[in-house]
Amino acid sequence: MLFDKTKFTSKTVPLFVMVSPATAWLVLLIAIPLLYIFVISFCSTTESHNIAFSFTLKNYIKLFDRTILSIYWNSLSVSVLTAVFCVLIAYPFAYIMVKTSPLKRTLMMVGLMLPFWTNSLIRLYSWRTLLGRNGYVNDFLIYIGVINEPIEMMFTRSAVVLGMVYTLLPFMVLPIFAVIDKLDKTLIEASKDLGANFIKTFCYVILPLTAPGIFAGVIMVFIPSLGLFFVSDLMGGGNNQIIGNLISRQFKEAFNWPFGATLSIMLIAITIFLVRVYTKKGGKLDELGAV
Amino acid sequence: MKKTVFVLHAVLSVVFMAFFSACSRSNFAGEVSVFVWEDYLPESAIVAFEKETGIRVHVLTYNSNESMLSKVKGSPDGTYDIAVPGDYMVKMMTEQGLLEEMKTEQLTNFKNLDLAYLGKYFDPDNKYSIPYMAGGVAIIVNKTRVNEKIVSLNQLFDPKYKDSIVILDDFRINVGAVARSLGYSFNTTNLEELSIISQKMEEWKPNIKLRDSGTPKSAMLSGETTLGLIWTGEIALCIEANSSDFEVVFPQEGFHVFLDNFVLLKGSKNIDNARKFIDFILRPDISAMISAEHPYPNPNKAAQALLPDSFKNNPAANIASDVFARGIYLEDIGSDVSKYDDVWTKFTR
Repeated sequence: MLFDKTKFTSKTVPLFVMVSPATAWLVLLIAIPLLYIFVISFCSTTESHNIAFSFTLKNYIKLFDRTILSIYWNSLSVSVLTAVFCVLIAYPFAYIMVKTSPLKRTLMMVGLMLPFWTNSLIRLYSWRTLLGRNGYVNDFLIYIGVINEPIEMMFTRSAVVLGMVYTLLPFMVLPIFAVIDKLDKTLIEASKDLGANFIKTFCYVILPLTAPGIFAGVIMVFIPSLGLFFVSDLMGGGNNQIIGNLISRQFKEAFNWPFGATLSIMLIAITIFLVRVYTKKGGKLDELGAV
Repeated sequence: MKKTVFVLHAVLSVVFMAFFSACSRSNFAGEVSVFVWEDYLPESAIVAFEKETGIRVHVLTYNSNESMLSKVKGSPDGTYDIAVPGDYMVKMMTEQGLLEEMKTEQLTNFKNLDLAYLGKYFDPDNKYSIPYMAGGVAIIVNKTRVNEKIVSLNQLFDPKYKDSIVILDDFRINVGAVARSLGYSFNTTNLEELSIISQKMEEWKPNIKLRDSGTPKSAMLSGETTLGLIWTGEIALCIEANSSDFEVVFPQEGFHVFLDNFVLLKGSKNIDNARKFIDFILRPDISAMISAEHPYPNPNKAAQALLPDSFKNNPAANIASDVFARGIYLEDIGSDVSKYDDVWTKFTR
């Protein structure tokens, strides 16, 4: 018999039933919208602010406009700073979390995750109360006599980076925690037996072995920080635009969906490039998603 | 650690499920969804309407005409029943066939409206729109920290006001204001003029502390900024909070005014409820209640008598009609809007 009925009912049907909802989900909600974005990135707009489906490359040429490039530059520098500060804070944090007792580890984890129960906009607004011209920090510094005039802390690039680090820190801690936790302790002991002090052990043993976690964390912090426009709006007062601001304005205010689509395609290209570098260096894709 | 995360997730899911099932259990006689500017329709009016009619009101908000338009166009028909576009946006939406006829004869409280606010250029016969509130964008001055008399937009460019101005996050209004300061049309599309405007904005940039369309008053009240070019309604709230510190200035070069209007959206599934809602808002007592909370000039003549003194004596809330007459409306400039976006992108990078 050509057609093996038992195999069909026992293997093919369950497989089809299991996979097709996920496939339909991916096609409907990810593939088709992305394809649409890709298509309209080659279109232009009409007088009445609709999309004109005629092929043009002008959106891609506009990417190389000096103003746009400077926003890319600004955005990338904010993201690089965010990633660097996140690593500097998250690495010791994760390291201590691994070394400490299970109870303290749970407390640290709760402390890290608990703020996520509050909307991030509200948490960012609270920085205004703290860092504003008449905020608590300025009041305190004036009170103890360190400064006479309030320092301008809000609505600067540093404030944007602070907001980004604050919002994205857990995404750096978790992958680093995972690699340090999995670290083979005997290698550290071997390093000590061979006479290396802590700094040498850290530089030659621990750091190289935990680098994939750092890299995974960097990707998970760097990429979102290019797009979190509300952080730049609230903390930067809108004066420090990132790529996300530009994209959101094209869709929401400037009626230029095609150019917004082009900017989104660029952002996707940057993301794919970084993930490619990550996998080339031996990183595993599921470690990016499995936190 | 996985266990901790798992427990956290489990607790969260239970909380969410409990929340959503609680929401769906309530029974109302019908519903209506209102898409309105952020902080523009007070909760008290909505509660009063729900109590009286048993119709549930879903309020969704936006913070610019443009984002409202893209959301309306990007959502399936019937997502929203009512929207509150500004003047030029009523015209655009009419031209794009997004609106349902208002049929003012069905609104018993239509007669309450002041004729001065009816039949404007964007909808000469009020076929599609009913005025809700008016307003403008003027200068707010913190008198305790600004030592000169402000009369002109050009004073805002003075380098001594470095890092001390709050403006709206809106490119048409700001580019238009800078155009007026140079003596150009508020709605200019002339490339040469726009490039001069762009240069002047570049000089203005060091003075701008922040851009905020939602609640620019908080920057003024907290002392973050000493000057602002913001909504008159927000200025009125500052004056209400502290009349000795704050003052409103309508610049001599002219200033932007707007008229926000209720419209019914094409494909609305609750059009009768929507009309009931609009009619309810037009009732003098309700309209006066809204004005007490949102101090924008009120086109409802019948409500005038009921307005509180705090509103009547506030020069930023109850804008005198001869002052309002100097105001300039925004006009739709078609695809030239991209020129404004380029100026703005340069300004905000």
